[in-house]
Amino acid sequence: MAQNMIIRTVEISKRFGEIIALDKVNFGVEPGEVVVIIGPSGSGKSTLLRCLNGLEKVDSGEIIIDGIKLDKDKINIHKVREELGMVFQEFNLFPHLSVSGNLCLAQETVRKRSKPEAEKISLELLKKVGLLDKKDSFPNQLSGGQQQRVAIARALAMNPKIMLFDEPTSALDPEMIGEVLEVMKNLAREGMTMLVVTHEIGFAREVANRIIFMDQGKIIEEGCAKDILNSPQNPRTISFLSKVLK
Amino acid sequence: MFLQQIFNWISFQLHILKNILIYLLPAIPMTIKLTLLAFALALILGLLIGLSRLSQRGLIKAMSKIYVDVLRGIPLLVQIFFIYFGLGKILNLNRFLAGVIAIAVCYSAYLAEIIRAGIQAIHKGQYQAALSLGMTPYQTMRYVILPQSFRIIVPPIANEFIASLKDSSLVSIIGLRELTRAGREYYSQYFVDFQTWLVVGIIYLIMTLSLSRLVAWLEKKYRVHGYGIPR
Repeated sequence: MAQNMIIRTVEISKRFGEIIALDKVNFGVEPGEVVVIIGPSGSGKSTLLRCLNGLEKVDSGEIIIDGIKLDKDKINIHKVREELGMVFQEFNLFPHLSVSGNLCLAQETVRKRSKPEAEKISLELLKKVGLLDKKDSFPNQLSGGQQQRVAIARALAMNPKIMLFDEPTSALDPEMIGEVLEVMKNLAREGMTMLVVTHEIGFAREVANRIIFMDQGKIIEEGCAKDILNSPQNPRTISFLSKVLK
Repeated sequence: MFLQQIFNWISFQLHILKNILIYLLPAIPMTIKLTLLAFALALILGLLIGLSRLSQRGLIKAMSKIYVDVLRGIPLLVQIFFIYFGLGKILNLNRFLAGVIAIAVCYSAYLAEIIRAGIQAIHKGQYQAALSLGMTPYQTMRYVILPQSFRIIVPPIANEFIASLKDSSLVSIIGLRELTRAGREYYSQYFVDFQTWLVVGIIYLIMTLSLSRLVAWLEKKYRVHGYGIPR
């Protein structure tokens, strides 16, 4: 593997009781790459993302993010998280804050930006995701798609080097999936390094540089998007794709 | 003639009630002072204990659990006796301080449980979102979790506040001259029992009802968008 990997894992394993969520996973992401992880539910995709930003602790193995090794004792975890933006399936906006409050909070408390500075950045990002007119709304006044776009803007406000997406469209009504994917595609075109867990094969086909197929805590197959989707080699990949693509 | 008698009786009763009221009024500030001070202390203690109950450290967690179990399991009256006659002798506490400490400590145990429940009611996605933005556990608690918990815990905390106002009457037993004590003094001087306790009861009721109104206002003020039944 190349030395310029921005994310690198070495033999990481994670169990939840009897269930092995991650089984000695080795992988890496290069700067500017868009990597999509697919696989059946329970295959360890989400756990992998959570381990990368320390929301779950790995049982063994190493994670190196942008040259910083993730300590098991979590001392440097905040430093690493500042470089990793994360978007969740359930949006997880802060319901007691307005849209612009959601975007400003971590800028002010973590990045130590002044309020006017944070607000200026928030407005630019809301414009980018097409929600400038919603800056004073509260999360419950927005549709699911709008909430997820706010969540993406909130993560971007921290100027992360990498964006992690954990099934960002799985909780959305079908007609709202497109608007979120559009924002993500634009982000990919701008050269953002992205690691996306998703079931949206169309999105993978269009923007992914690389697709990783996971099953039972292991990486079964990986390669460029066209190869994996058009001519998968592993029988499990073939069986999964045949169900997803129908 | 008969009407005249009724009129005389009523005016006599009103006269007694007025005398009782005048006698009791100076004792009301003590009840208010006692409750406010004790409850403010109970809130601070309760927050600390409630957060300790959620601590990752085993020892802190275990000790806070013991604190809650012990204090919640002993009658407040016994705690007042213990603190005034027991600890008070050693620490030289006066009646007022002993009363404040007894109520504060006892209520902090209840408040700790309410605060703990309020924090645990917040969805774990909120922690994950805040942490993933690089916020420290303290910042997450301060800016994301507690503001949302606050809305949940205001009604039960208000209940405890009202209960503590009523329970402040127990401190009369160690001779602190608050409202209930003043009522007993009046009774033992003039032997009018029915009217005395009627007036005492009404004064408590006026105070607790005012508190209820205050709480309703607070709840409205700290309403969180997206929670509760839409009106």
